[in-house]
Formats: sequence, C-alpha cells, structure tokens
Amino acid sequence: MVGSPVLLIAVPLLAAFVIPLIGMIWKELVRIVPGLVLAYMLVLSVTLLVEVNQNGTIVETIAGWKAPWGINLVYSNLTGLLATIITTLGFLVWMFSYRFKRNVDFEPAKKYFIFLMMLVAGATGIVITGDIFNQFVFIEITGISAYALTAFYTGRNSAEAAFKYLMMGSLASSFLLIAIAIIYSQLGTLNMAEIASKMHTMDPVFKVIALIFFITGIGIEAEIFPLNGWAPDAYTEAPGPIGAAFAGVVVKAGIYAVIRMVFTLFDIPAAHDFLITIGLITLIVAESTALRQEKLKRMLAYSSIGQMGLVLVAFGIGTHAGVFAALFLMLNHAVIKPLLFFSGSYLVFNSKEKRISEVNGLGKFMPYTAGLFALGSFAIVGLPPFAGFWSKLSVLTAAADEGLLLVIALVLIVSVIEIVYYFRVVNRIFFQEYNKEESVVPHKPRFNAIIAMTVLAILILVIGFYPDAVTGMLHSASSDLLDKSGYIDNVLQVGQSLIR
Amino acid sequence: MNTIILIFIIFLAGAILTFLASNIKGLLKEVLFLASVIVPVVMFFTGVKAGDSFNFHLAGFAFQWEITPLGYLFALIVTGLGVMAAIYAVSAMQKTKNLGLFYFNFILSIMSMLGILFSRDLVSFFIFWEIMTWSSYLMVVYQGKDVQKVGIKYFIFSAIGAYAMLMAIVMVYSLTGSMMIDKMIQSYAGFAFNMQIIIPILFLIGFGVKSAMMPLHVWAPGAYSHSPMAFTSLFSGALSKMGIYGMVIVMAGMIAYFPEGHWFRIVIAWLGGITAVGGTLWAIAQDDAKKLLAYSSVAQLGYIIVGVGIGTPLAMLAALFMAVMHALFKGTLFMAVGAIEKQTGTSNFTEVTGLIRKMPLTFLASLMGIIALAGIPPLGGFVGKWMLYESLIGSDHYLLVIVIFFSSTAAFLYCYKFLFGFFLGQEEKEWEHVKEAPVLMVIPMIILAGGTFLLGTFPGLVIKPISAGLEQLGYAATQGKYWEMSMLFNEWGDQVVLEPILYAIIAVFAFFLVFLLIKNHKNTRYVSTKDISTSGEVPKEHENLTFIQNFFQPFLRAVEPLMKRQIDFYYNGFGKGIEALFDFTRRIYTGNGQTYALYAIIFVVIFLLLKTTLFGI
Repeated sequence: MVGSPVLLIAVPLLAAFVIPLIGMIWKELVRIVPGLVLAYMLVLSVTLLVEVNQNGTIVETIAGWKAPWGINLVYSNLTGLLATIITTLGFLVWMFSYRFKRNVDFEPAKKYFIFLMMLVAGATGIVITGDIFNQFVFIEITGISAYALTAFYTGRNSAEAAFKYLMMGSLASSFLLIAIAIIYSQLGTLNMAEIASKMHTMDPVFKVIALIFFITGIGIEAEIFPLNGWAPDAYTEAPGPIGAAFAGVVVKAGIYAVIRMVFTLFDIPAAHDFLITIGLITLIVAESTALRQEKLKRMLAYSSIGQMGLVLVAFGIGTHAGVFAALFLMLNHAVIKPLLFFSGSYLVFNSKEKRISEVNGLGKFMPYTAGLFALGSFAIVGLPPFAGFWSKLSVLTAAADEGLLLVIALVLIVSVIEIVYYFRVVNRIFFQEYNKEESVVPHKPRFNAIIAMTVLAILILVIGFYPDAVTGMLHSASSDLLDKSGYIDNVLQVGQSLIR
Repeated sequence: MNTIILIFIIFLAGAILTFLASNIKGLLKEVLFLASVIVPVVMFFTGVKAGDSFNFHLAGFAFQWEITPLGYLFALIVTGLGVMAAIYAVSAMQKTKNLGLFYFNFILSIMSMLGILFSRDLVSFFIFWEIMTWSSYLMVVYQGKDVQKVGIKYFIFSAIGAYAMLMAIVMVYSLTGSMMIDKMIQSYAGFAFNMQIIIPILFLIGFGVKSAMMPLHVWAPGAYSHSPMAFTSLFSGALSKMGIYGMVIVMAGMIAYFPEGHWFRIVIAWLGGITAVGGTLWAIAQDDAKKLLAYSSVAQLGYIIVGVGIGTPLAMLAALFMAVMHALFKGTLFMAVGAIEKQTGTSNFTEVTGLIRKMPLTFLASLMGIIALAGIPPLGGFVGKWMLYESLIGSDHYLLVIVIFFSSTAAFLYCYKFLFGFFLGQEEKEWEHVKEAPVLMVIPMIILAGGTFLLGTFPGLVIKPISAGLEQLGYAATQGKYWEMSMLFNEWGDQVVLEPILYAIIAVFAFFLVFLLIKNHKNTRYVSTKDISTSGEVPKEHENLTFIQNFFQPFLRAVEPLMKRQIDFYYNGFGKGIEALFDFTRRIYTGNGQTYALYAIIFVVIFLLLKTTLFGI
C-alpha cells in the first residue's frame, strides 16, 4: 500500500510550495525534487492500477464528505490507465529535460520544473476527479502551467504563442463555467455520477446547450478543429520536451473530459455521430496542413492534432471495439509522439528556425537519435511491426463492424498523406547529403535524454511485437467507460464497491 | 520448436546481429549476413514440408502460418533467388557506406516474402506485406539518389495499394468475423453483390501496385533502377511476384465463382496486355540498362497478369511458369548490369560498348538471360510463352494474342539493344582496363542462367510444384497426364504438343550449322574490331563505328502516338493539385489569435443554431 489516489494531487501541490524554499538550501534540488515527486506519482498510479484491476474501482471521498456532497476521486480501470499514462510521460519528460539546455540557470529551471510538475498533477486531477467543478479547477491548473511553459523562452514568438494560448484558454474557461452553471441550475449537483443519474430529468434544450458549451470549452484543450489554433504555435514555441508533454499529457486529459461528458454525463446518442464528424474534419484538416509545414515541431504538432481527431472518430463509433481502438490509439500516441518530439528537438537543437530542410544528412552524425526518430515515424504512420499498426487496425475493424466504409476510406487516405510528410523528413535525415551551410550543427544528446528516448522506443517495440501486453488493460478500461450504471453505482455507493 | 517459427526467428535475429556487427572490421558482417540468409533457407528445404503449420493468437486475432503447395512454389523463387542475390551482394556491395542498413533490409525483405507466402490469415499477410514494403523502400532510397521523388513515389503507391488491401481485409473481417484466407474464399459466394465486386477490386489494387500493373506501375522504373542492383534482382525477380501470388489467390480463389470469360477476368487480362505492350515500348526507348530492364520487368509481369486473368488451368500454369522463369532471367540480367556498373561505373549503353572480350562470363549469362527473356527455345522463356499463347487461343482471346504477340516481338528490339549496347560493337580505349567481375558476382549469374536452361529443357521439374499449387487452388490435377522430366519426350496433355516444333527447330539449326561450317571452313580468318572497310575506307583508330545513340528511331517514331502521354504526367498533376489544395487549408491557421477566437465563437454559434438538426432535440 503506497497511498491513495488523493496523494496523486496532494503531493505535487505541496511540493510546488516547498520547492522554492528547499531550492535555497541547494540549487540542484529544484531539479531533483520534482523528479522524485513525479517518480512517486508514477509508482503510486501503477500500484493503484494493479489494485483496481484486482479489486475494482476505488472511490475516495475527500474530508469525509460522501458523494454527492463532497468532492470524490474515482480511480477506475479507465481513469487509472490514463493517470498512469500521464504520470509515466510526466516522469519521462522530467528525465529528458533534466539539463536539457545547459545554459538554463536556477531561476528559469525552478519555474520550469515546478510548472511541469503542476501540469502533470493538473492533468491527473482532470482524469481522476469525480466532480465537475473540481475538474474545471484542474483544467485551469493545467492550463496556467501550460501557458507559463509555452512562454518559457521569453522571446517575442513564445510570448505571442503563450498569449494566444492564454486567450483561447480563457474562452474555454468561460464556456466551461457557463456549462457548469447551467447544469447546476438545472440539476442542483456538481457530482458527475449524480449528474449522470439525473440527466434524463433535465430539459433537453438546456441539456444540448450545456453539451455544446462543454464540448467547445474542452474542445479547446482537446485540440478539436477549429478550436485548435493555439496548438501549433504553442507546440512550436515551447521547449521540445514540453511539446511532448502537451501531446502526451494535456491533450489526453482533454480528450478524457470530452468522452466522459459524451459517454457518461449526457445521454444524447447523436453526440456519437457528432464526434465522428468533428473527428474526421479535425483529422483531415490537420493532416493536410501538416503536409505543407516547413518547421519540424509545427509538423509534429499538426500530426498530433490529426491523431486526436482519429481518437475522437474511434470514440464516436461508440462500440466496445471502437472505445478499445480509441484507447489503444491514445496509448500509442502517448508513447510515440513524445519520442518524436524528444528526438526531433535534438535534431534541430542548434537551429534557430527549426526548419525541416535543416536536418539533411544528420543520420550520419547522430545515428541513435535519428534512428529513434525514424522508428517513431514508422510507428506513428502505422507500419507493422510497430505499435501504431495495431491501433490503426483496431480502429478500422471497429469501423468496419459498424459499416462505416466512408470513414475507413478517409482514414486510410489520410494515412497516405501522413506517410508522405513523415517519410520526407526521414529521407532527409538519412538519405540526403549533409550540407554545411544548410544543415544544423549536430548536437549530442545527453545521457538522461537517451534513457528517456530508449524507454519509449522499447515500449513501441514491445507493443508492436506483443500487443497482448496492453490489450487486456485496454479492454477492461473500455468496458469501464461503457459501464455507465456501474460508474454511478460505484460513486453513489449503491453497489458493493470498495469505498475508502 | 516448430521449424517455421524458428526460420523467422533466425531471420530476424540475423538481421539485427548483422546490423549491429556492421561497424566491426573484417568479414564478420558478411559471414553473419550470409549465414542469416542461408541457414533459414536450408532449414526451409530440409525441415519443413507442405502442410506444416504454426498457430498462435495475438491481439485477439488468430494467426496461422502454414506451408501450402502454392506458397511452396513461390518460396522456391524467393529462397533460390534470395540466396543467389545474397552471395552476389556480398561481393557487389563491398566498400559501400552504411552496409549494415543494406544487409538488414535485405534479410528482412526475404523474411517478409516468406512470411507472406506462409500466412494463411490476412493479418499476418498484411503485416509481412508492409514489412516487405518498408524494407524495400529503404533499399530504393539507400543510394540517396532522387530520394524525395522516386522513393516517396514508391512509398505512396505501395501505401495506396496496401491500404486498399487493408480496407478489403477489414471488410472481409466484418463480413465473416474471421481473418482466415480460406474462410474468406469459402464465404465469398455468400457476400452481397457489391461486396463481391468491391473486395476483389480493392485486393487487386493492392496486388497490382506490387506487380507493377498499369496504370499503377509508375513507381517501378525509378524504384528498380535506383536501388542497388544486388537488391533489384530480388526486387524485380521475387518481390514483384508477391503481387502475382496475391492475384492468384484472389483470382483463383474468390473469383472462382466467376465463370471463365467473365468481364472481370477480361478486364484484368487486358490490363495485363496493356501493361505488356506499354512496358515493352518504353523499354525500347531507354538508354540506361537499368531503366530498360525495369520497363521490361513491367512488361513481363504483364504477361503473367494476362495468364492469371484468363484463369484457365493452362493459362494459370503458363503464368506461374513464367513467374518462375522471370525470376531466373531477370535476376540474371539485373546482376549482369550490376556487374557492368561496378566494373565500368556506368550502366548507360551509349557510353559502354564492346565488353564481350573483357567480361565474357557476364556476356554468357546475359546472353542466356536475354534468350530466355525473348522466349527462344530451348531456354525456359519459350515454354512459358508457348503455353500462354496456347491458352489464349484455346479460350478464344484472339485480340489478346495479337497484343501479346506484338509485345513479345517488339521485345526482341530491346533484347538486341541490351546485348549490342554493352557487349558488341567497337572496343574503345576508355574501357580497356575493364576486367571480368569478381568471381562471387559471376557464379550466381551463371547459376541462374543455367537454371533457365535447365527448366527450359526439363520444364517438368517446376511444372510439378506448379500443378501441386494449382490443385490446392481447386484446379483439377493438371491435364491428368503423367509427367516426364524431359521436354523432348513429354506429352503435355492434349493441348500442347511440343515435339514437332522442337524437332523442326533443331533440324533448321543443325542444317545451317553444317552448311556454314562446310562452306566457310577454309576461308575463316580472325579479325579485330577495326579490321574492316566501310565504303572503301579503312576506319581510323579514334573513329566511332558504334551507333548506339538514337537506336530504333524509326520504330519509336512509328509508335510515338502510343507513348505520347505518360500516365505519370497525370499523377504528377494530381499530386500538385492536392498540394495546392493543402496549401489552401493551411491558410485556415492564420497565426492570428483574434481569428482563432473568432473560430471558437463561430463554432459555438453554429452548433447552437443547428442543435435541432444535429442532436435531434
């Protein structure tokens, strides 16, 4: 017994206040302590996930106020899986960015690591909370950390990107607040389970308006088209590892919030078709835009948006197979996209412009990093025997079972586009001559960065060669998401669930 | 442990070990490379037999690897050519940079091809198909020439093909609930009519891309000529045959419900015919041997597609026989070009001439390859073509006969161009230093060329496994006749009678040989290239008497209307159009925060307005 879910949020919050103080004792501690906290969160989330897998959902009430009056945390197969993904990535991002830029000194480093920790804590909170207003608070925590991290380099461009992000983020908060207000005024509760159980009594007009405001508000975080204008700028201007954190942590939490709304809170069947449509539009627009990008990180950002579109399509299918495919996609994206961001940020390390044309011939000088980038590219476009293939296959079989042939065709056509832009980069790295005037000066990755990247690469290979390592977990998570009455019973203590 | 899985493990481990050992000096990497190709091949020949299988479950799908007679036949091509090309590669690729990548992809290609042939379920079929695609793609871009154009084009087309196939696979899965190929074939008759048409078409797009069927062939000339020749012999000889293998399964298995002469079959056969003619014409126009052979491969696969498309037992037999022969002679020819390129530095006929005395063994191999390609007895190409004609006439496709006949006659032109351009003609100073290729490169060539002779004389050797494969597909035991191993005393069922033709040819040859020997016996004089007189003048040392430039101009001018517009042109136009369109979508992201905020507001407003239509409330 390592702890209970509340520690996933309490420990980083406490540490955030303590770190500046202990930083006065020894400066290195501001780098080390966040890592320790993230490692603790990782261990805790994994242990809890194992426990949940054996004993069923853990519902934790805060301060003794039982649901639906108090705030409660729900650590189920689904939320536990997502929390584990988030904390794992948080830890890897920390490991990668420990001394990412050597010239970063004490003050910025302090901010960087504290905000990184808060980002992860906020995202974990979004996922495991059982209270809608609490979720709003966590979305704000995540958002504010993300704005700050985007502006980390304090240049003109990063300030502009952060400001755009901030602007969109404020819009998102307003919409969310309106939606929460509508629900509270109609149902008189903020507890998700109770909202879900009472939703059928709500006036349909209010219900739809609340849903629309919710989707708009969270859609901004989840990068739904056309609400994702902030994302390419933020990914590009933020430090490389933070791009990985955005792709792996923030967006995952956003997507979770969307599907929790659609699957559990609201009982509107048409919302599934809506997810498919909006997901497809996001996918197509983002991938076609990615094809014409000239900057590496911007290309990765659009690709990330596109993948989220595909995830929404898969969730929109709505069957067990569809949800399974969507979760598989999320898992794979969380493993592969950070690897691309990590290795990509080392490829263009010494470049000001971060243009794709600058990576020519780098494979010769940094074979390992470049090889990992190639591995990531192979995996993300879904070539077997790497991880991305299985998730793509499961999306397609799920769609075929529902007879959505048009969706299959569109997804596959978009995959061809994806292949083109990824392989253009891989070709440049490995098969074009290094040109002293154009190409970037190679930069050797640090040891800790290599470990972080290798861990991700191993995960890609393991999932690719032996997908059964994760499918069991994903299946129970998808059953968990689809089991709406089970969720309500667990939280409202109707059933035989384990209450702590 | 099951031998089948062991073969794959050795391939995979060998590939990785060779890749890791590539930076170690000495012969370790070569030894590892050859071992990891040859050991599994030996295990394949000694350890497994048709009917062996290996089953497991992964990711909720049942996987079944089994050695079928048809798969065994194609595996013969892959393993035979694979070992030869591997031996050739060790010598041909010496002193190349980044050798580890080459060896790695080479082994993976062979592994994935065997995997395709062993797969009895569609998931592992697709997985191996994709591994084959990306490993061969890495070979195409390996030399760094034109990677963004040729390499990407190859991958785009492969991806389109593979994804068409994947779509068909998931459709089959949703219809039958199983990924087994047998199950798909069995339940095909019960599909709805639109599915009965869509699924084979999607599969055929996938297989058509790999076998370079027009109009999906545009990747082939570039890809074949840009990859290292050691790999191209395998690429054109074996890898493209995977498309044929798939077509045979789909056409013979699923379309078996379509009667012979069904429009679907005719369309495929005609696509093959057009491929054959187009490929041949373009091959004639080439000045680079690699490009010539690449287009020639396109054309040859066209013949095979014709046979598969017609689908009578004899046509299938012809197609499969030609597939084996094509692997042998095209492997030989690409290796010969590779040898010439290695020794002279170029593969362009307009530059290299008169190598016959410098590279006699390469010449011998090329000569045999060319004879087999042109379909002249007694080498194997003849047998295949003869059966193809016979089957076309027998099934009343007279127009197709004319098309094929035109194409294979025109093929003589490029055959001649190949031989003349490299080997005959005037010997030039520039190439005096050229020596015969290293022995490790010559031996595989000669062995493969010898194979064409062997199979031309004893076609029964390969017809046996072919008919076993055809029986697996549900054809009656071919012709019901017993098989003799010799072509001379062989009665090929009641459809092909070869003896009279063969005897006639031998008689004509013997007559002229005797006639010439007797007539010229006393006057024979040995001359050098310049020991001639033209229009009463003796040519000087520097004068060029080799007219390889603008070869076959009159012919090409005559067929120009046919070749005016390459389909490539339209593809490029389409690609440019798409890119322009995407440039337009890119503008949606203006980079201006106000616009983005506006988008959000518009998003909300639109959904609030349309909420009734969208959510039904």
